[in-house]
Amino acid sequence: MEAHHLLREKRTSEIEAILAKYPPERKRSAIMPLLYLAQEEYGYCSPEAMREVAEILDLDPTEVKSIVGFYTMFFEHPVGKYVIDVCDDLPCALRGADQFVSHCERKLGIRAGQTTPDGKFTLRTVMCIAACDRAPVIQVNRVYHYDMTEEAFDRLVDALANENGTGEAPNEQKQGLDVL
Amino acid sequence: MAELVNLTIDGISVRVPKGTLVVDAAKSVGIDIPVFCYHPKLKPVGMCRMCLVDIGTPKIDPATRQVVRDEKGQPVIVFGPKLTTACTTPVSEGMVVRTATEQVRAAREDVLEFLLASHPLDCPICDKGGECPLQNLTMAHGPTVSRFDYDLKFHNDKHVPLGDLIFLDRERCIQCGRCVRFQSEIADDPVLQFHDRGRGMEIVTFSDPPFDSYFGGNTTDICPVGALTTADFRFKARPWELKTTPSLCTHCAVGCNLALNTRLETKTGGYEIKRVMPRQNEQVNEIWICDKGRYVHHFTRAEDRLHYPLIRQDGKLVETTWEQALRIAADRLERPSAILVGDRIANEDAFLIAQFAKAIGAALEQRPALPAHYADVARAVGIGSDADFKQLGAGDVILVVNGDVEEEAPVWFLRLRQAVVDRGAKLIVAHHRSTKMHRYAAAIHRYEVGQAAKWAASQRADWLQGARNVLIVFGDEHLDGSSARALAQTLANWLILGGFAGKPNSGLLPLYPHANTQGVFDMLEHATRPANETTDTLWLVGVGADEPAPRANFIIVQDILLTERAKRADLVLPALSFAEREGTFTSGDRRVQRFYRALPPLGEAKPDWWIVQEIARRFELPWRYEAPAQIFAAIAQQVPRYAELSYERISRVEPQWPPMGREDLYYGGTVYDNTGGLGARYAADAERSALSPYDVHVPEPTLAGLERTPRLLYRDGELIRRSAVLRAHIVAEPLTA
Ligand code: SF4
Ligand code: SF4
Ligand code: FES
Ligand code: FES
Repeated sequence: MEAHHLLREKRTSEIEAILAKYPPERKRSAIMPLLYLAQEEYGYCSPEAMREVAEILDLDPTEVKSIVGFYTMFFEHPVGKYVIDVCDDLPCALRGADQFVSHCERKLGIRAGQTTPDGKFTLRTVMCIAACDRAPVIQVNRVYHYDMTEEAFDRLVDALANENGTGEAPNEQKQGLDVL
Repeated sequence: MAELVNLTIDGISVRVPKGTLVVDAAKSVGIDIPVFCYHPKLKPVGMCRMCLVDIGTPKIDPATRQVVRDEKGQPVIVFGPKLTTACTTPVSEGMVVRTATEQVRAAREDVLEFLLASHPLDCPICDKGGECPLQNLTMAHGPTVSRFDYDLKFHNDKHVPLGDLIFLDRERCIQCGRCVRFQSEIADDPVLQFHDRGRGMEIVTFSDPPFDSYFGGNTTDICPVGALTTADFRFKARPWELKTTPSLCTHCAVGCNLALNTRLETKTGGYEIKRVMPRQNEQVNEIWICDKGRYVHHFTRAEDRLHYPLIRQDGKLVETTWEQALRIAADRLERPSAILVGDRIANEDAFLIAQFAKAIGAALEQRPALPAHYADVARAVGIGSDADFKQLGAGDVILVVNGDVEEEAPVWFLRLRQAVVDRGAKLIVAHHRSTKMHRYAAAIHRYEVGQAAKWAASQRADWLQGARNVLIVFGDEHLDGSSARALAQTLANWLILGGFAGKPNSGLLPLYPHANTQGVFDMLEHATRPANETTDTLWLVGVGADEPAPRANFIIVQDILLTERAKRADLVLPALSFAEREGTFTSGDRRVQRFYRALPPLGEAKPDWWIVQEIARRFELPWRYEAPAQIFAAIAQQVPRYAELSYERISRVEPQWPPMGREDLYYGGTVYDNTGGLGARYAADAERSALSPYDVHVPEPTLAGLERTPRLLYRDGELIRRSAVLRAHIVAEPLTA
């Protein structure tokens, strides 16, 4: 099996900074931040990305795949530039999430779980993202957008479709989330 | 002695060591709490909820910290608002457990209803059907109908190869995680994991190679459903058609206890081994075996098994009668002869051969030859006859020198690793290359290839002082005879001078090549005489194809297969394999154990002892043995170390913990309980009398040792080549340092 080096070549200092946070004999604990880094660099948690993380942490690749498989925020398949996660768990469903999801599908022309042909948007339904009080709620590239309406969604998507490439979603009511 | 705790389970008073889990405490008094994810050899995880019971504990007055008592003076018991998992709850003083309440019954029924929601219920084509915990527990505790809509059943992949040896049926999997935990906790080869969650949760492998673990077959035994099946057994037979015979593995020095499952085949009209299963022996292999032991059995019914004696006529081997073959053999053995004996034959065979060689004055050597250079030392300072690997832990030192435990004695690897990783024994490894054991080592010593004896000689003799016990595992990789002997003696001296010799859990543990290296050595010892140039007739009994042999004018090969060696012989005597006869082996730690006849004889092939006796009778030796038991009685009389042993003694069984076998399928898996005997160790010399240190002469290593390939588990050989499932795993290339 050939080794993969993309991360180690391009993000050396960040890898070191992450590893420095954990005692050497517990370095497997660095798996989550390294996977975020790998996801950024490889575009998604590709087989190569998972194998490289396994190599860095002296883990079996199966252990890395298991973590990736458990968390929805790690993508095992290529995704669009904007990943739109719509919560359709119970409280959001009570506030009309199901119809809202259908609207999103119509607007984007894809089904939940798919990516638009231009590679711009991926639409997914997710379990509770802990903002039920302001349902329906979505996350676009991990940034929350609350109290969604169909109109607000359309404005957001149109803005992103025409955006100048910052990767930042413009918004009325958003809040960032620093996961790293 | 561990602190004991008193509790009652269904009204029965139970007294068990502190820390015992409720599920095991119940088991100890014969109360079966159903489980799926719990396994007595794995850490509890409480994932499946099958073991829910009602648990109450004495009410404690917060002010006085005293147990509150009712008017009759009985402790007031407070039960939890909900049921509790018996597999994760340790016992506590005064605990009251109820397993037979309506609430518990309903919980079991509900858990099973959920587990079966998407279960395919394809028992009629499932390999586990008939010995399936899910099937059995559903019959015992499950609902008769399901409230789930049939059309909502989740369908999933059914024949997923996790490697070339194990297949996964994703819809049968109940996500108990036993396989995952076995691979991580026991084998330390975490190539199986869960992926996704909820209904999408499934077992995956993403390793390279995928699921190709030396111990993978064990996951199919402990999987509580038919989700994991071996490439070797799947769709081959139904469990209830199989006959079970206690046996032993012949492939390394551990001496794993096996159960051979056989069936009468209509196609061939004969019995065949359908699968090889572990047989519980907590002192030897617990409930595990390695994949070689499990899958290598196909040689027993190989196309080229020998059915009749063969004699060379006009350059070709042709069938002949025993009468003629024995007469020719006897005639030829009248001339100056040498007998070479492989170390896979039984003690009974080797004993008769030794007597015979002595009687006719033939040269006699053991093959492989190397262990004979140090087997006397290993035996003298071997681990105690009561040694118990489970007792090794904190305070003990395990030293591995020049051996690759996982490759050479896989199940010892599992057991020693647990002593280190789970119980805190200190591991020191010395080798010229890296092995898997290096992962757990507190200290690592390295030396040049072949220099193990020199390295050992350079250590201070008292360097292991202070340990509670010292167990020294050693191998002979890339050593020549004198270096191997010098190494064994130096290691023995550390034990003798350190006061460890003769202690039960201290001593030498040699990584011999096969199952009976020690036994053949013990039997041959006083009759051994090196062959020289005058050999006219050479008789090879079960000798590997790559073993050097002296030149001779006439070569007799006694074997089970038409090996490369047999093809060049002048006379070929067909022997029965271990599966078709009975006998005993002596393991690397001197445990003498019995194996039994599982298959009827093949053609006219005979047990080795019979062949030897028949030839001996033509020399007027007065032998009339009719069964190995009689020969073993003679061994007990004539080989002093075996004096205390008898078939009766080594066939004894006693209850083992945890209880395993057919009655406890759901608890321990499809491992068989032990009905064939637990065996017994003969005493190490150091247990009988104080030993004086060896006078060691460390030689300059020669090239002789470097030419031999390391003993990797899947090294090439006549037997492994005949196992279709293992063939792709054979390592032909020698490992370089
Ligand atoms: S696992 Fe058990 S219950 Fe399931 S199909 Fe197989 S035999 Fe039937
Ligand atoms: S494959 Fe078997 S052992 Fe593994 S999780 Fe599924 S049911 Fe349990
Ligand atoms: S249910 Fe949608 S955020 Fe909680
Ligand atoms: S939860 Fe106890 S056996 Fe599974």
